[in-house]
Amino acid sequence: MDEEKRKDILERLKNGVVEFDEDMVREAAQEALDVGMDALDAIMNGLVAGMEEVGELFDKGEYFVPEVLMCADALYAGLDILKPHVKKEDIKVSGQVVIGVVEGDVHDIGKNLVKMMFEVAGFEVIDLGKDVPLEKFVEESLNANADIVALSAMMTTTMLGMPKVIEMIREKNPNAKILIGGAPVSKESAEKWGADGWAPDATNAVKEAINMVRGLKKEVMGEE
Amino acid sequence: MTSKHKIIFQPEGKRGEFEEGTTILDAAREVGVDIEAICGGKLTCGKCQVIIEQGMENLSPVTDDEKRLLDKRKAGKNYRLACVTKFYGDVVVYVPEESRGGEQIILKEGVELSVAINPAVKKYYLELPKPHLKDDLGDFERVLAALKEDYKIENVEIDYEVLKKMPDVLRDADWKVTVSIWNDREIIDIQPGYRVEESYGLAVDIGTTTVVGYLTDLRTGKVLAVDSMMNPQVTYGEDVMSRITYAMQYEDGLEKLNEKIVDGLNKILENVCREAGISTDEVSEMTVVGNTGMHHIFLKINPQHIAIAPYVPALHRSHDVKARDLGLNITKGGYVHVLPIEAGWVGADNVAVLIATEPYNQDEMCLVIDIGTNGEIVLGNKEKLVSCSAAAGPALEGAHIKHGMRAATGAIEKIRIDPETLEPEYRTIGNAPPRGICGSGIIDAAAELYRAGIVKKNGRFNLDLDSPRVREVDGNPEYVIAWADETAIGHDIVMTQKDIREIQLAKGAMCAGAHILMKELGVEHVDRVIVAGAFGNYIDKMSALIIGLVPDVPVERIESVGNAAGVGARIALISREKREEANRIARNVEHIKLAVHPSFEKEFSMAMYFPHMDKKRYPGHKEILELRGAE
Repeated sequence: MDEEKRKDILERLKNGVVEFDEDMVREAAQEALDVGMDALDAIMNGLVAGMEEVGELFDKGEYFVPEVLMCADALYAGLDILKPHVKKEDIKVSGQVVIGVVEGDVHDIGKNLVKMMFEVAGFEVIDLGKDVPLEKFVEESLNANADIVALSAMMTTTMLGMPKVIEMIREKNPNAKILIGGAPVSKESAEKWGADGWAPDATNAVKEAINMVRGLKKEVMGEE
Repeated sequence: MTSKHKIIFQPEGKRGEFEEGTTILDAAREVGVDIEAICGGKLTCGKCQVIIEQGMENLSPVTDDEKRLLDKRKAGKNYRLACVTKFYGDVVVYVPEESRGGEQIILKEGVELSVAINPAVKKYYLELPKPHLKDDLGDFERVLAALKEDYKIENVEIDYEVLKKMPDVLRDADWKVTVSIWNDREIIDIQPGYRVEESYGLAVDIGTTTVVGYLTDLRTGKVLAVDSMMNPQVTYGEDVMSRITYAMQYEDGLEKLNEKIVDGLNKILENVCREAGISTDEVSEMTVVGNTGMHHIFLKINPQHIAIAPYVPALHRSHDVKARDLGLNITKGGYVHVLPIEAGWVGADNVAVLIATEPYNQDEMCLVIDIGTNGEIVLGNKEKLVSCSAAAGPALEGAHIKHGMRAATGAIEKIRIDPETLEPEYRTIGNAPPRGICGSGIIDAAAELYRAGIVKKNGRFNLDLDSPRVREVDGNPEYVIAWADETAIGHDIVMTQKDIREIQLAKGAMCAGAHILMKELGVEHVDRVIVAGAFGNYIDKMSALIIGLVPDVPVERIESVGNAAGVGARIALISREKREEANRIARNVEHIKLAVHPSFEKEFSMAMYFPHMDKKRYPGHKEILELRGAE
C-alpha cells in the first residue's frame, strides 16, 4: 500500500469524525481494511486524530455538545469496523477506568462523552452504565484493579451517593483515583468528599475530560 | 282511588303520569328533568320557578309564601314554584333557563371550556322539627331524617368536629340550618340559617416558583378573588430538586418545607377571603395541583423516591385529605382534593392542564407543552396520549443567563434586531431603563441573533461582522443589547456565547422531547401547539418557532392558554366528573422516559440547532423568517 493511499484514508477518517459524517467514516474504515492497512494505525492516526481536533474545536467554543455527540457517533462507527482487526499485542493500555452514573440517576450523556474521551486517550474503560448501585462501583473497581473510578450524577438528589462511594472505595481500593462530575457537583463538594478530580457540568464535560485525561496521562507516566 | 295525570316538561319534552297531588318538582325529578331547588322546598330560595303553559286550572292555589317569593324574584305571569305546586290534572310546564340545574360555566381566560357544575360539596337547607318528649330522636338522626325526606339523600356520615358543634348550632339557629355534604356521603359543616347560596372553595396551584389561589363560588364556578405569592419554600432552594435534597439532608427538612407552604396557603386563604368579605371557615373545600415534588411536600410525604430513578411517586391517583390534618384553616370538616399524578415528574399540575385543555377529546394532533425548569410535554388526540418530561433547566426563565432576570420592571421583554444594521430595538416592562432580560426577551434575543446571522444555526457567534455590538471579551463572543448609558445598572447588557449555549440546551431538551413523542405516535407533524404556563402568555410565538423551541407548525396554530394548571384546579373544584376524568387520563397517558429513550441522545443533539439539525422537520422555517422580516 502506498503512503499516498494511507494518507488519503487517514484524512478521510479524520475529516469524517470532525465533520460528523458517519458514512464517510464507514467507507474509509472499510477501505482501510480492504487495502490491508493496519487497523490500529487507522484508529490512532485517523479516528483519534479527528477526535483530538474535535476536542480543540470544543475548547475554542467552535463546537458544542451536539457536534461532539455527532462526532462521537462517527468515531464509534469507524471503531466498530476497525477494532476487531487490531492485534491484541498492539494495544497499549494507559490505564483502567471504571465509569458509571450513580444510583438513582439515568442521565448519561455527560458520562458517555467522558467515557469516549478516555477511550480516545487509550484507556480501557469499563462502563457500568447508569443507575449503578453504589456497591457495584467498589466491586468492579476491585475486580478490574482500576486506576480510575469516574462517577457521574446529574441531580442534586443522586449526587448525595457520591461521598458514600468515595468513602467505600478509599477503604477498599486506596490506590484508585476518583473523578466525579455532573451538573450539580461543585469543586467544593469534590474537595470536601475527597475526590481527586471533578468536572463542573455536562457542557464542560468534554473539556474537563480532556484536561483530566491529560493530567492523568502525565501522572501515570510520572509514576512509571 | 286517585287518578293519574299527565305532565309534560318543555323544552325537553319529557313526560310522565303521576298520582293526583304530586308536586311538579317531584314529578320533574322522577322523569329526570333537572330543576334547581336549592332550599329543598322550604320556600326560602324561590329558585324553582316554572312557567305553566297549559293546565293552570289544574294546580294547587298560590299560597302567601309562594306569592312573596315569586314577587321577590320578579316572576312573570303563569309562573309557579315547582316545589310546592301540586297538580290535579294534566299540565304542560316550561322550565326556564335560569331554573335549570346543571349550570355550565364557560371559562375564557386562555382556555375556552364549558364545564357542567357539579361540585363535591353541596349545601342543603333544613328546617327540622323541634324535639320534644314524644320525639326524642338524636340531633344527627334528625338531620338524617330531614335529608332523606327533603332531598332523598341517604347513607351520610358526619365529621367529628361538625358533630361536636351540631347540638348548639341547631338550637341557636332554631332548627333552621344549612348542612354541607361532601361527595354525597359526609356532613362536613353545619351553619345556622339559610346559607345555601354561599358556597365557596379554594383552588390552588403550587408552582415551584409561584403559588396562586382562586377563591371560587362553588355554585357558579366564578372566581371571587385571586391571590398569588412567591413560593415561600424558595429560601430552601430555587428549584424543586434542591428542595428535595434539603428534605433528604436534614431530619426536619420535610417538616420545614411543608410548614412553609401550609403557612403560605393559609395566608392566601386569608387574603382572598378578606377580599370577598367572607371568613376562612366558610370555605368548604380546596383543590390542589402542583408538580410531583410540590405535591409530595405539600402532603408531607417523603419526596426522596421521586427524585431518584425509577422516580416512583407515593401514589398516582387523586387523594382527599382533611384540611385540618394539613393545618389548613378552611372549615374544620373540609377536605383538600389533590389531583392525580401521571408518572414520575409529569405531575398533578400537568393533569390539571390536560383536563383544562382536553387534548384527549380532539381529532387534531395536539402538543401541550408547559415550559418550566422541568418542561412537561404531552402529545396526542382522542386516540392516544403520550407524555414526557424534559429537563430544560431554568435558562428560559432567566437563570444561568448572564443578564437574565425575572419578569419585573426594567426587564427587556421584547427584542428585534435589524439584519442590515445589526442594531436592536427593545421594549422593557414598565418602559423603565433596562436592568436585564426576562424569559420572553431571552427567546426573542436568541431568535433575532440567529435571524440576523449574528449567531449561526449551530449556536456559534459569527465574529466576521462589522458592528461594535458584536465583540469578544476575554475570548468570549457576545452581543450588546443595551449600552451602559441606556441601562439602569451602569454597564452593558449583553447576550453571551455561553447564554446561547444554555438556551440551546434548554430548547434542545424541549424540542427533542416533542420529536420523540411524535416518533412514538408515528406522526410527522402536529396540528396544534398549546403552550401552558404563565410564561407561555408572554413568549413571542414566532420567536419560539424561529429557534425551534416547538415543532414546526403554522404560527397561528400555537395557542397560549395561560395558567392552565390553575384553571384545571378550578375545574376540579366545581366538577366531580372532571375529577374522575383526571384520574382516568392520568392512568391512560403513556409516559415516555426521555433520559433512557434510545434515540434521546441523537434527538437532543439535533434539536440543539436553530431550529433543528434536520431541516426537513421545519418545512415552514423560511416562511416564518419572511413573516418576521415583514413585521
